[in-house]
Amino acid sequence: MLLLDYQNVLIESLLRDRLAPDASPSSVDQIVSDFDNVTFHISTPESKSKILVSITIKCWKELVTYGAQAILDREYGPYIVQPEQGYDFSVQVDLDTMASKPQEEKDELVRRVSLLKRNAMAAPFEQAFDEFASLQDQAKNYSSETAPQGVREGGEVRAIHYREEEAIYVKASHDRVTVIFSTVFKEETDRVYGKVFLQEFVDARKRGVQNAPQVLFRHDAPMELQGQPGLRGGRGENVGYVTFVLFPRHLTPQKRDETISHIQTFRDYFHYHIKASKAYIHSRMRRRTADFLQVLRRARPEEADAGKERKTASGRTFRAQA
Amino acid sequence: MANINWRTINIDAYDPDSAFNFDLTTLTPAVQPVSTSDVQTLSGQIRQLVRGGNAEGALQGALENAPYGADEQGKSIHLSVVTEVLGQIRQAEMTPILQRLYQADGGSELCDTLMKYIYKGMGQGAPGSGAASKNITPQATGFSQAGGRNFGGEGGGQSMSVFLSWHEKLVEMVGPGSIVRVMSDRRTV
Amino acid sequence: MSQSLRPYLSCVRNTLTAALSLSNFASQASERHNVPEIEARTSPELILNPLTVSRNQEERVLIEPSVNSVRVSLKIKQADEIEHILVHKFTRFLTQRAEAFFVLRRKAVEGYDISFLITNFHTEEMLKHKLVDFIIQFMEEVDREISEMKLFLNARARFVAESFLTPFD
Repeated sequence: MLLLDYQNVLIESLLRDRLAPDASPSSVDQIVSDFDNVTFHISTPESKSKILVSITIKCWKELVTYGAQAILDREYGPYIVQPEQGYDFSVQVDLDTMASKPQEEKDELVRRVSLLKRNAMAAPFEQAFDEFASLQDQAKNYSSETAPQGVREGGEVRAIHYREEEAIYVKASHDRVTVIFSTVFKEETDRVYGKVFLQEFVDARKRGVQNAPQVLFRHDAPMELQGQPGLRGGRGENVGYVTFVLFPRHLTPQKRDETISHIQTFRDYFHYHIKASKAYIHSRMRRRTADFLQVLRRARPEEADAGKERKTASGRTFRAQA
Repeated sequence: MANINWRTINIDAYDPDSAFNFDLTTLTPAVQPVSTSDVQTLSGQIRQLVRGGNAEGALQGALENAPYGADEQGKSIHLSVVTEVLGQIRQAEMTPILQRLYQADGGSELCDTLMKYIYKGMGQGAPGSGAASKNITPQATGFSQAGGRNFGGEGGGQSMSVFLSWHEKLVEMVGPGSIVRVMSDRRTV
Repeated sequence: MSQSLRPYLSCVRNTLTAALSLSNFASQASERHNVPEIEARTSPELILNPLTVSRNQEERVLIEPSVNSVRVSLKIKQADEIEHILVHKFTRFLTQRAEAFFVLRRKAVEGYDISFLITNFHTEEMLKHKLVDFIIQFMEEVDREISEMKLFLNARARFVAESFLTPFD
């Protein structure tokens, strides 16, 4: 449980149960929450064998402008149905038609549907990676001085405001793709712990993991984001900007799916481990407090004699008065 | 006047007969007032002794002439002289010097005075140390976590360890009674 | 134990042993009351001279004796922001459990991180030298606990960062 899964485990297990050879269809109506305020709705509105999976994402409109629809068409083509009322996107799985299909195809379907959130969020990344490829091609024709403005500066910044106060920014250049996370620390403790964690992210490349993307961290908005609306930052505020610089090695066609999936989980992974550390330290303090109490209890004299029966010389017994 | 919270006023402070206004000077033995310039002259003489290599004599002189009657400024001058003298004496010499000091006439008095200076020296820089101010409203102890903390202020550690080793040697010889006398003696250094 | 810690702790131990000479003392200000004079401060003659034991600028103990109560305040070393937050969390954790600790003050004296209030009732029903032991052990372990927590946090951060970045390889 160190790394976060890319897929939604609940959807995955639910669909797998329904698609198992000996499963009998039953009705279902569940709301499932995922990270970043994403909500799924799994239901069987028409018949027990038709499972409708709908998703709502805060930044859906932005994703569509970055070409989410095309990616979802590619991934879910035949399963797409009219979006359910109140949701952004829906797919429908017909258990009756799937029943006759081979197991591999069922597994593939389960995998795809459970990656619904990942695929929707992948749009701006895929677009940026494509842009990187074309910029790289163009850049080959120029030396660094003669390159036209567009090639040297790189493409536009794609902003994804996927949470209330936090956003991801993706920007392609001819030799790299920069992914910037803006993240908010709810309280002072989170900020300090986060700083420790981010310092290690920044330093990780110096030790061992040389091929990893370069990580940068700062409190005010980096240069790349100049002119973006709604930026916060500076000393007083609990905002941090984490920059990942993805190099061509991470952007190859073989690696790009994995890179997109993985980098999407960063923000949640990061905060998850801050919270986990807090919980651990809390339990440690609880244990230590119990130890201190033990020491203090030793200060109380043993009440060995109180209430014990004593005998007089003549053999009569009496109770000592406390 | 309207914004005074009458409930928090300590009415005892306005009653001349109340225990709150107990006259502490009746507990303090009469001390000669000492002027700051006298303290300065004295500290000059003590420094001369130290320079002459007679640290033991300097310490004895400084403790015998502790300026109980001086004002805060005079006291702090004397404290810095005593601190200087204590810092001059090497670890190995502490116990023999203390032994001779203790066995001389009025030696236990001098040891108590030394104990006072050790505590005063360690209390330097601590907030709210020394004079416990008479508060009209009791418990004015707001605990602020934000700000007011100096990070990484090194320094002082060296002289503190001097006080600590003197304290250890002194207690070994004169026992905890000396500490009690420091707490209860109204003549402060 | 480090070289400068031992004299520091032994100095605190001696001072506490001397200060914990308490007797029952009913309030002079209000009849049938019996309050810790160091807190009430109703009569100046009952308050003794406060003593400070310092190891350096960041670590010190303030001992404020009175006729029937002693207030002991600790300032714990905080070398950086992380230690600062850990000390703050830990002391808050303890003071919220002050009920169980009898001698723990619910609020630290200003300028210090944690305070104890020991009254004559505590010294009557508990062994004095064990009480002193408790405070000394507390001082030792708080320092150790804070530095262990800090090490843990760093180790975890390093592991977490490497685990996240390795799949990119």
